[in-house]
Amino acid sequence: MIRMIRKYEDWFGVAGGICIAVGLYLGLAASPPDYYQGEVVRIMYIHVPFASTSMTAYFVMTAASLWYLWKRNPIVDNMAHATAGVGVFFTAGALFTGSIWGKPTWNTWWTWDARLVSFTILLLILIGYLMLRTFIEDKEREARYAAVLAIVGAVDLPIVHFSVEWWRTLHQPLSVSPRGIAIAGAMLFPLILMSAGFYLILTYMVGVRTQMLYLQQLLEAKKGRLLGEVHL
Amino acid sequence: MSALRGIQLNKSYRHYQVLKEVSFDVAPGECYALFGPNGAGKTTLLKILATLQTPSSGRFEVMGLDGIRDRNQVRGILLMIAHGSYLYGELDAVENLRFALGLRGLSPADREIKIALDRVGIGAFADFKIRYFSEGMKKRLSIAKAMLIRPKVLLMDEPYSSLDERGMKIMNQFIRESTQQGAAVLMTSHNRAQSAEVAVKAGVLHQGVLHEIDVKELVAAHELF
Amino acid sequence: MNFFSVIRWLAWKDLISEMRSRETISSMFFFALIVILIFSFSFSMDQQTAKTLMPGIMWVAFVFTGIIGLGKSFLAELQNDCLENLQMNPIPRGAIYLGKLVSNFLFMLIVELILFPLFVIFFNLDVFDKLPLFVLILIAGTLGVSAVGTLFSAMTVQIRAREVMLPILLLPLIVPVMIGAVEATGSVLSGESVTFYRHWIELLVVFDIIFTIVSFWVFEFILDH
Repeated sequence: MIRMIRKYEDWFGVAGGICIAVGLYLGLAASPPDYYQGEVVRIMYIHVPFASTSMTAYFVMTAASLWYLWKRNPIVDNMAHATAGVGVFFTAGALFTGSIWGKPTWNTWWTWDARLVSFTILLLILIGYLMLRTFIEDKEREARYAAVLAIVGAVDLPIVHFSVEWWRTLHQPLSVSPRGIAIAGAMLFPLILMSAGFYLILTYMVGVRTQMLYLQQLLEAKKGRLLGEVHL
Repeated sequence: MSALRGIQLNKSYRHYQVLKEVSFDVAPGECYALFGPNGAGKTTLLKILATLQTPSSGRFEVMGLDGIRDRNQVRGILLMIAHGSYLYGELDAVENLRFALGLRGLSPADREIKIALDRVGIGAFADFKIRYFSEGMKKRLSIAKAMLIRPKVLLMDEPYSSLDERGMKIMNQFIRESTQQGAAVLMTSHNRAQSAEVAVKAGVLHQGVLHEIDVKELVAAHELF
Repeated sequence: MNFFSVIRWLAWKDLISEMRSRETISSMFFFALIVILIFSFSFSMDQQTAKTLMPGIMWVAFVFTGIIGLGKSFLAELQNDCLENLQMNPIPRGAIYLGKLVSNFLFMLIVELILFPLFVIFFNLDVFDKLPLFVLILIAGTLGVSAVGTLFSAMTVQIRAREVMLPILLLPLIVPVMIGAVEATGSVLSGESVTFYRHWIELLVVFDIIFTIVSFWVFEFILDH
């Protein structure tokens, strides 16, 4: 598995880079401004890919965690760990760009929107996940506890989303719903390209980090063996 | 058939390999005494056998059952007496016994509990909260618990520590009784003289490697490691 | 099976211990009292704002005090290595979870029931005709917090920085409980008809069911390798 990652990861990185470069050009320069939102809408080309990749990252992390608890393959745990680290970056990116987008459209940086709250909770869970991992000595236990947290979080997030949505409709209904934007063809293509680029980069980053975590573990095991020999 | 058998057990933590290819064999009715300097890996080995930790590689068998795969059955066979007394401070001696036995589905009569407590010499403290017990008294209570459970395999981590001379006698008496009834005992120890009274096999664990030695050496040898 | 007897033994042990030491409940109670006082000083409230703020303040106090209790729950099992003993016993892990859940839930609920009259007095509330509804919301909300909390209490007690990690992991996950409980309490207080807040109580119940089942299932991976 590690060998496979090592063989293909660079291609993912390169392809992702190209997609994003072309997508950025098309999105920021070549595509028309939105009828309602004007030039502001261009942040969509970054925000939407950020949001969808971060959700996918959590999904992958949960799947890897379940797989780990089932098969106990340490590489799968490395993958879950790697995805969490990368996921923090993407989730923070989604929140940040969403906030920038929110300022001109909703006239506020922050609002208690269901998606915003869910993403914030997602970010908190991811950070908690990474913190938890640093506080456990035993590698096997670390992997187990982290997997449990990921699974419980995965069950929780949809409930958070629904409860905040209910709560929102009760207090202050949304003034502008971004869901209302009908996407024109000229905007769709760069968006797809950007999303593809983000997914490729996500895969690339997860691959690199998985490999790094795996090698780190291998190194520590080797070091342990060497130390043992020196003692003898 | 062996009661407790380790087969090439390895255990490593992040930087350090604690156990290296540890293999041993304890038959029913035998007592195996394990010696070794502090940090040699004795407690780690016991924790692996007690199904508290997994070995990094290798396996072990308890009464023919695989210690990792069949660990739930193995847990019903094993009993560990360790440094931690496994007692709750707010409960008294009898309640603690009842709780520990209750988890194993046992509910002995009051008389049996009384007898066991008397035999380990703490019958007078039966309704004292454990909070007020000394370490030696807790250890004696652990012996009483083991008497009532009658496990087929007993793991003991330094059974003589914190016991007075009378307590050590009670401990050895109990070990002898258990082995006579066919139980296997694996103990770690720093007390050669006491262990030599009951052990029929002995080994020294040194930096994770197990060397079997003759029991006679326990008293004869000037230095074990 | 001795599944239910294990639950009963564990809950019995925790309740007896608590009845004797009163350590957990009293510390929870005074902590909650202080939280409420601080809140009352921080917002200078008239009758009307008190009514709108009260549900939030009440549930924040309850959840914070719950974290105190949950943190102590498995800490008690660490003394004398009792947790190790539970792990070594041939008992279903889910039964350990449910046993601890029962005691955690009861401790939280008892403290809440003592505090509730104080809220009524401090905030001048008129609740007596809706008391059963309040109790229902209390039970549903408390079960949600303790279902997730018992799981994370067992997890964090075995790691470094446990005091910090319990709230960090627990609080984001119980956001739905907070929303549901606060909204339902608020609606009952303002005298709305039940159709307006039924869905909040349903949300709480669904959360309770889902997380009791999920935690029950994953608890095995907390205690067992």
